[in-house]
Amino acid sequence: MAARLWQVLTDPLVRQNPVTLQILGICSALAVTTALDTALTMAVSLTVVVVLAAGIVSAIRRFIPSTIRLIVQIIVVASLVIVIDQVLQAYFFEISKRLSVFVSLITTNCLVLGRTESFARNNPPLPSMIDALGNGLGYSLVLIVIGATRELFGAGSLMGVQILPTVDQGGWFTPLGLMLLAPSAFFLLGGLVWAIRSARPEQAEAAEHVAPAVAEAGR
Amino acid sequence: MIRGIWDRETVALILVAALAPVAVLWLAEARGAGAVRLVSFVLTIGILHLLFMLARAQPPSAAALVTALALAVFTPEGLGPVQLLLGIAFGVVTAELAFGGWGRNILNPATVALAFLGFGFPAAPWPDVAVQVGWAALPALAFGVLAGVMPGGVVAGAALALGAASALGLPLGPAVPALLAGLALLVCDPVASASTPLGRWLNGALFGGLAAAFLAGWDGAHPVQIVVSAALLAALAAPLLDEIAIALWLYRRRRRLG
Repeated sequence: MAARLWQVLTDPLVRQNPVTLQILGICSALAVTTALDTALTMAVSLTVVVVLAAGIVSAIRRFIPSTIRLIVQIIVVASLVIVIDQVLQAYFFEISKRLSVFVSLITTNCLVLGRTESFARNNPPLPSMIDALGNGLGYSLVLIVIGATRELFGAGSLMGVQILPTVDQGGWFTPLGLMLLAPSAFFLLGGLVWAIRSARPEQAEAAEHVAPAVAEAGR
Repeated sequence: MIRGIWDRETVALILVAALAPVAVLWLAEARGAGAVRLVSFVLTIGILHLLFMLARAQPPSAAALVTALALAVFTPEGLGPVQLLLGIAFGVVTAELAFGGWGRNILNPATVALAFLGFGFPAAPWPDVAVQVGWAALPALAFGVLAGVMPGGVVAGAALALGAASALGLPLGPAVPALLAGLALLVCDPVASASTPLGRWLNGALFGGLAAAFLAGWDGAHPVQIVVSAALLAALAAPLLDEIAIALWLYRRRRRLG
């Protein structure tokens, strides 16, 4: 049992990562990763929401009529998101302002709904919450990697602390302005997916088209 | 493609031969520093091609020389080696090698690398294209079109659009060398440009039209910046233009033959 739970927890970190394998929840992953602190805040918020939502949905799973199950799940998720949003506004006002609408948008994050719909609805609370925690951590891992890369190369700092002295401040590092723009998140996520699928070829999708066989003339 | 001696490398070598006048006149103007730059770009891109040959069994291509020349002519000045390496590696790997090597890419690697450098380091000044380099692009285009490795429709479409803009009173003068060199080095890429006859005319006209619009309305933009942006957008639209051309052809055919 413990071994199975451990697998449920660790599978979504790389092997079944929700962002890089299932490409779920990338809109927030792209939007909040210009700096590491916002990425971390978002990762923690989403992990808390997905774990609690999975627990609640799983606890009432026998009482949810299947015709309105999505509505019930969204109500559960939305209530939790409002709580998290209020907590952030109360204790981390600065970051909450920079995250703007993306905390509220956790409600519509495919990752949260995907876990409650596909796992928590059919499993007891403990495995559901562990599965949700694993997925939240997998999402956090991607956010932290991308957020750290973008902040380090875009501004030369991490968590607002200057690591690489930029030219403006008399150092040697020229910030790569592109890293702070939206396209770089796509490039980095694409590179990350490429790297993971090169290391684990079983994740690669089957080719959509097969190239026709060609031969030189006269052969 | 015609079989026989016409394989990918024949096309790449004819392209290199066609662009030789541009290379010679650019080297005559840029001298030693230019030669060092060109050689180091060729080495960098060659090493990337070799890496992909070892990792994925993709044969390296002489088209690396074309990419290196385009980058040497248009790369912003004052960038350090690390920044150049980053930009070139990004352009060549994500625009060409990741798709399976030259011939399977959908965008010109030099255009992508230049756009990356332009967005990534907006403070670096764009280089001025010398007048003789612009004029050298004319025989390059003529030879490339005659030899069949550059799309004639793209040249004609661009000439039409820019001619119309000039006739309407847009002063093209200072941007002509950059426009001609960009047409030869970036836009008339046999792989990344459109591949249907009508699509090629539209592709060239789109490049010319965008360049004219940027010249007219983009304050403070350098001619090279305008050319690179127009080339990137025109190359992105090329598959769509092909799609339009094929849809029109199918429509006409259905009307004629029922």
